[in-house]
Amino acid sequence: MRSGSVHDMTRKPRPKRTAKKQAPPAVSSKIDRIEALAAASAQALALPVEAAWRSAIAQNLRLLFHHAALVDEFPLPDEIGPAPVFRA
Amino acid sequence: MEHGGRHCRGIAAGRTSALNVVEATLTRIRARDPELNSFTAVTERRALAHARALDEARAHGKSLPPLAGVPFAVKNLFDIAGLPTLAGSKINREAAPARRDAALIARLEAAGAVLVGALNMGEYAYDFTGENAHDGPSRNPHDLDRMTGGSSGGSAAAVAGGLVPIALASDTNGSIRVPASLCGLFGLKPTYGRLSCAGTFPFVTSLDHVGPLARSARDLALAYDAMQGPDPNDPACADRPAEPVIQLLDRGIAGLRIAVAGGYFKCNAGEVVYALDRVAAALGANRDIEIPEAERARSAAFIITASEGASLHLDRLRTRARDFDPAVRDRLIAGAMLPASPVVKAQKFRRWYRDAVLKLFDEVDAILAPATPCSAPLIGQQAFKLGDSELAARANLGLYTQPISFIGLPVVAVPVPLTPLPIAIQIIAAPWREDVALRIAHALEKSGVVAAPRPAE
Repeated sequence: MRSGSVHDMTRKPRPKRTAKKQAPPAVSSKIDRIEALAAASAQALALPVEAAWRSAIAQNLRLLFHHAALVDEFPLPDEIGPAPVFRA
Repeated sequence: MEHGGRHCRGIAAGRTSALNVVEATLTRIRARDPELNSFTAVTERRALAHARALDEARAHGKSLPPLAGVPFAVKNLFDIAGLPTLAGSKINREAAPARRDAALIARLEAAGAVLVGALNMGEYAYDFTGENAHDGPSRNPHDLDRMTGGSSGGSAAAVAGGLVPIALASDTNGSIRVPASLCGLFGLKPTYGRLSCAGTFPFVTSLDHVGPLARSARDLALAYDAMQGPDPNDPACADRPAEPVIQLLDRGIAGLRIAVAGGYFKCNAGEVVYALDRVAAALGANRDIEIPEAERARSAAFIITASEGASLHLDRLRTRARDFDPAVRDRLIAGAMLPASPVVKAQKFRRWYRDAVLKLFDEVDAILAPATPCSAPLIGQQAFKLGDSELAARANLGLYTQPISFIGLPVVAVPVPLTPLPIAIQIIAAPWREDVALRIAHALEKSGVVAAPRPAE
């Protein structure tokens, strides 16, 4: 999955309109986004992640996104379905 | 270090008894297993009772089944009646004992083989090293400071160490073939759906296979034939009649078109090059063939594994996270956090890849590839060198196995007895053509190019 398509869990609320237009917040580093995704996912999935585990989990998640990107970039026609086929 | 086939011929001919064979096996386990750490349970009473029953049948003139008296053991993700199915974990120690044996144990015992125990493995099979945080590492009989490979580490240690001639194992991304390579054994990962997984603790049902490890191609074939056949208790098991291979082994390789996998599978590690060249030369395999998109296939298998594995263990991760091996826990948790759409894409890519690779079997009958990118690393070693790169051991020992099991092709891993450490080559055949891979393995063994080496005394 390309990094731009990751939900940005660190998005700050839009600043109020003032006379002078404010510059948008600096884009978080890729590392921060993965760690932020891991933290948010742990909450959403009710997974009790201890602080000491976070770095290794983020590293593994980064690796998974690397592999996911390799799969994602391969063009496939819409007509190809998943390999496992369900039979009623 | 007898082969299974020799045991049953000796028993049938009256040169020995099943009881003698099993008692000798139990004695060897007691003597040698403390240093190999391959067994997590020894089913002594059951084994002796079965052996006595076989001897009594023979004494009454009954003909003996084909594997009569052959001792075997099973990776501890196979259900053994009366024992909790550990699957290499601490958590499963609290599980209720299995009510019945796994399907393949029942079939091997129906063929006369004698179960002697359960074998160590990497936790929940998410492992290529054979190490286990709860039960300790299985140790490589060729060098006790080195890993067996995993996750079927105990299965490999027990067979390579001469404790049993045959062990059952499982392979999702390489867990039969990697330990076969690091311990110098013959291993069969059959076609996906060929052998029943009923009564085994799963890992990734999209990719799980089960199969034997042994010290000869013949023993692989004997075990495989006894275990084949449909099983309605395993939805993934093909509704396909058994296709015995034992009578086909001596057909040799005449007429078989064999090529060497190029591209992604080209490995410049010295021992791998030497082993592959020796096997290819012996088979007259003088052309390369490209398996398209193998690197991408490996990535697809990687993320399907992470996602399905995480889903299987999610409740346990919520309530018992601290009781996991940390190396397994952190990978599973990460897998739970991977979004669904790349995993769905990976399954679609799998359909494309399967179709593309099967076309290759219009031009070849078998493809050779390394089983591992290196011989056995040290226990606890985190990385190994491949060319100029350093690769993490846990994630990368299955580099060459993962793209093949991804589409369920049958593979026989054949050991090349290098010193100081052996290494195996994969013989990859078309779906349902285990006979081709086993014929090639048997021919190589007869010519002396491959063999399961005895550990140095």
